[in-house]
This record gives sequence, C-alpha cells and structure tokens, in this order.
Amino acid sequence: MLAHQMAMENPLVEAEMVEATEFPELSQRHNVSGVPQTTINDGAGAVIGAVPEDHLLAEIKRALTNAR
Amino acid sequence: MTEKLLNDEVAAQVQEVFQDLKGDVEVLFFGKKTDCQYCDETQKLIEEVTGLSDKLNLGIYDIDDDAELAAQYKVDKAPGLVLTGREGDQSIDYGIRFAGIPSGHEFSSLIHDLILVSGRDSGLSQETRDFLKDLEKPVHLQVFVTPT
Repeated sequence: MLAHQMAMENPLVEAEMVEATEFPELSQRHNVSGVPQTTINDGAGAVIGAVPEDHLLAEIKRALTNAR
Repeated sequence: MTEKLLNDEVAAQVQEVFQDLKGDVEVLFFGKKTDCQYCDETQKLIEEVTGLSDKLNLGIYDIDDDAELAAQYKVDKAPGLVLTGREGDQSIDYGIRFAGIPSGHEFSSLIHDLILVSGRDSGLSQETRDFLKDLEKPVHLQVFVTPT
C-alpha cells in the first residue's frame, strides 16, 4: 500500500489502513464517503481514490503547508 | 480440526509469493477480549499467513493486558496489526499499521506489505524519498477502506 511505503522512509511518517465498517465513528469524523480515502494528519488533507505516488505526495505537501 | 480461513489454493499461491521474502518480519497482533467482532478471525488469518514462511514471526497481544506495548506502538484500535522488520534481536518499526480485518482487496495489501518490509526498502521514487527523508513534522496517514 502506497501509504505504507511512504511510512518506511521516515519515523515521522505513520500509515494506518483502517477498515471503515469496523470503526464507524472514526470514519464519520473524517467524512469518509468513497474508499479508499486517505486522510492526512487528522483532516489537514484528504485524497479520495487510489492515486499515484506524486499525487499523494503533492497532497501531503499541501496539508503540511496549510496546517495551522 | 477447525477449518482454515485460507483455502489450499490461496495458501499455495501466497506461499509461492513468499519465496521472495528476504529479511525476517515480525508481526504484532493486538486483540481485545470484548467488543471486537473480527478479532478472532483476524488472529486466525494472521496466524495462517505467518505460518506460510519461516521468515515471518508473530506475536499475539491484547490491547488491554499489553497496554504498555500497545502504547509504544501507538495501537489504539483492535484488531490491530503492526509490521516490523527483525534483524537478530533488533526490531525495525516502519510505522506500518492495520486496523480492522485485512480481507478482500486488503488481503493482498497485507501480503505485499510483508514482502515490502522483508525487502527493507520502500520502492518509492528518489524524489519522494528525498521529500520524506527531509520531513521535520509528523505525517499521519489513515487509509480508509471497506471489505470487498
């Protein structure tokens, strides 16, 4: 899984696959509509669908820049 | 004898793919005694999978009884899986977690991740590696999936 691959590159990165139906409250909190949905830093960014590496990377960059 | 979760054909296919395993992998399973619909099944599944290769090791833990270990690995949901590399007595935590049963499409994610950890390499492009290596702030990715 792409997110898991990214986690390997830095101890600061952690990637968790979450089976949405078993954790409905968490899924609801992140407004999970389509799967897969990748949420970054508790909602600072999000990507819906299976996306290529550079797309997820761009979204991570955006999420880190936007973080308050 | 209780029936296996993986039928013979799938087990044989996975065992074949596991020929590619290089370094040792240790999986930590965290279950919960109550309120966990898929804990038993997930434990059984990961027992069967790790049983298909000598390079895969498995530790079975309880999120409450082993609360300190769960906290160390930041596991707060059960069933939970942690995939680590094992070099002798050293454990390499790559930050790879699963929450919930890895079934359907996620089963192949699990198999690929085990091979990934075993190879000790992310397989990502140099540009991605460079960016991630230079990170100074934490990045927590949560990938929500549903069983297909």
